[in-house]
Amino acid sequence: MITPIHSQVDPVWLSRQFPDLTDLQVLATGGQKQVFVARHATDGEVVLKLMHPGTDPARTERELEAASRVQAPRMPRIFEHGLLTGNTGTIVWFCEQRVPGQALSARIQARALSHHELLRLALHVSETLVAAEAVSIVHRDVKPANIIVDSQGEFWLIDFGVARHLDLESLTATVAPGGCGTIGYAPAEQCRNDKPDIDARADLFALGVTLYEAATGRNPHVDGARDRFEVIRRASTQQLPRLGSPLPGDLADLVATLAQPSLVHRCQTAHEAHEWIKELCEREGVR
Amino acid sequence: MELHLQFGFGMMEHCRHLLTGWGGGTVVLSPRDLNDKQLRSLAADVAGIEGGKILLDPQFYVPHADHDRLCSHGFWPADFASGSFFQGPEMQSLVRQIVDLNRDLGTEAVILPGMLANPVDDLWLAHHRSFLTTARDMAGDTKVYATLALGADTARDREQVTTLLEAVTRWNADGYYIVCEHPNGEYLVRDPIWLAHVLDLTAGLRLAGAQVILGYCNHQMLVARVAGANAICSGTWMNVRSFPPEKFSKDYEEEIRRRATWYYCPQALSEYKTPFLDVAYEQELLHLMKPPAELDGCYVDQLFSGVQPSSVRFAEQAAFRHYLHALRSQAHAPEAGGYDQAREEHNQTLTDAEHLLGTLGSNGVLGANRDFTDSLDVNRAALALLDKQRGPVLRRRWTSLG
Repeated sequence: MITPIHSQVDPVWLSRQFPDLTDLQVLATGGQKQVFVARHATDGEVVLKLMHPGTDPARTERELEAASRVQAPRMPRIFEHGLLTGNTGTIVWFCEQRVPGQALSARIQARALSHHELLRLALHVSETLVAAEAVSIVHRDVKPANIIVDSQGEFWLIDFGVARHLDLESLTATVAPGGCGTIGYAPAEQCRNDKPDIDARADLFALGVTLYEAATGRNPHVDGARDRFEVIRRASTQQLPRLGSPLPGDLADLVATLAQPSLVHRCQTAHEAHEWIKELCEREGVR
Repeated sequence: MELHLQFGFGMMEHCRHLLTGWGGGTVVLSPRDLNDKQLRSLAADVAGIEGGKILLDPQFYVPHADHDRLCSHGFWPADFASGSFFQGPEMQSLVRQIVDLNRDLGTEAVILPGMLANPVDDLWLAHHRSFLTTARDMAGDTKVYATLALGADTARDREQVTTLLEAVTRWNADGYYIVCEHPNGEYLVRDPIWLAHVLDLTAGLRLAGAQVILGYCNHQMLVARVAGANAICSGTWMNVRSFPPEKFSKDYEEEIRRRATWYYCPQALSEYKTPFLDVAYEQELLHLMKPPAELDGCYVDQLFSGVQPSSVRFAEQAAFRHYLHALRSQAHAPEAGGYDQAREEHNQTLTDAEHLLGTLGSNGVLGANRDFTDSLDVNRAALALLDKQRGPVLRRRWTSLG
């Protein structure tokens, strides 16, 4: 039976489409997808994500295929993906490992991260970005809400749902204003959807802003902005205020460089950033 | 940072003299000022000096230039048409002849033709990439440097500098020869943004692993050391210490017709005509203007011999040689152990100059358009911007810049 696929999918109908999944429950609904949690007989706790209609399923699948090649220890594994057809069209779904823990955004609301926690955050996320860079993938939505802190204090970068494979035709329409990602964390070139310029440096910018927010509890591009245009203008033109005491100068240097408005002033590759972060971590005995 | 001699009018003997005295150095040859025979003769002379090295600036900045000597060179295209030139054999022929000429002259690297960018656009980038790709195939193991010649407005434009950096760091040239027109035809630049962008370009290319030579410089560009520049080039007359694109035209008025002798006071970063040295003499301040021993090539001893400066014969030959010797010594300052040290040293140079300029200026010892007073803050502001944008990475990677 063909059932309508609207922005809110009926869990009962969905259960019938995925007989291997039990305890299917809605987790969240975002701008691009609806997210469910469930249990899989062999894969354990999983997250099922349904992309909203309106994107090209074939290209989305190609992007997913590419994202599933990212080999990083702290990135959820994509178990399966496929297409689901309803009477309003075909959508893409994928099922990935569920990472138990707390979103960094929630952690930050409780308290700012310590110096060593910030270094570990930078280390773990940059490690994932290096793995993504190795297969020409840009995450494009690095932000506190997409980072999970697990019970071991390790940081997982989740949601490669809007990732872009640099060698494939882009999923986002050329004229799409704002491109993908989240304003306040997306750099100028991503806000302009300036595709030739979007590479690992866009993720490094977002990591820089995320680190700043984790250190201070605030995102200066967003705080007090009148509207989204002001957020974009700030992220495109303004450097973050320098992190001060008690954080050391070398960490402040790192964050300032990652979050430079102009892409030519950032680290030029995720690998370069990761090497820098590793040096800081080794000096502090952080792993 | 090295000082290369930027060849200009009447510099043959200066080059031979200075390189012999220095025990080596590099001369950047100018086809505008040397015919083919002279190019080869001077190149051979320099090669004969211990440590002497040659580079050739093909001076393709204004392809429609009509300067007689420049256009007389074999590599200069007889019929330049911007549309088809880069698609057909003409561009390959130009590059081939330049590569061959470099081989004949025994240059250290091939500097490729570069057209003055006003603005940097896709076509300009495509043409220059074509030069590089073509030359790479022809030059074998010889290093190839792309020329980045920027008009004053281009160098001031943040977006264009970013576009340029973003494009050229992917070209993987061995090095870049950067030539930037000064804003408003100024000798000493008064625009901090222009200077900041030149430093940013320099630092960006150095961090990308390329060598950077800045052409047509005066002492204001000593600051380029903080951005990691490998060399600045300077010469005798103002038109080789800054870059006037019009000098490649037939009707350019040679500066030599307006000649005056200027004394460079390196600790003040300023130059003075002899009458103002007389003022310093009468104000009993002349001793403050004597070059420190480490910058002194003994070309100006007579000015400080205890008599009124205008009473001794201080001619342009000594003035030029003194300028270049002092500038080379300043550029050669002991290798900075780190970015912060290099930056602090330049800031200290500015502070020292400021104190001296204050004393001299308040006593009527003024350098007119070669007085550095109005450029002190320009250099400071440009350094502050460099530090904000590049400081952390330069600090971290200084010792590995190579």
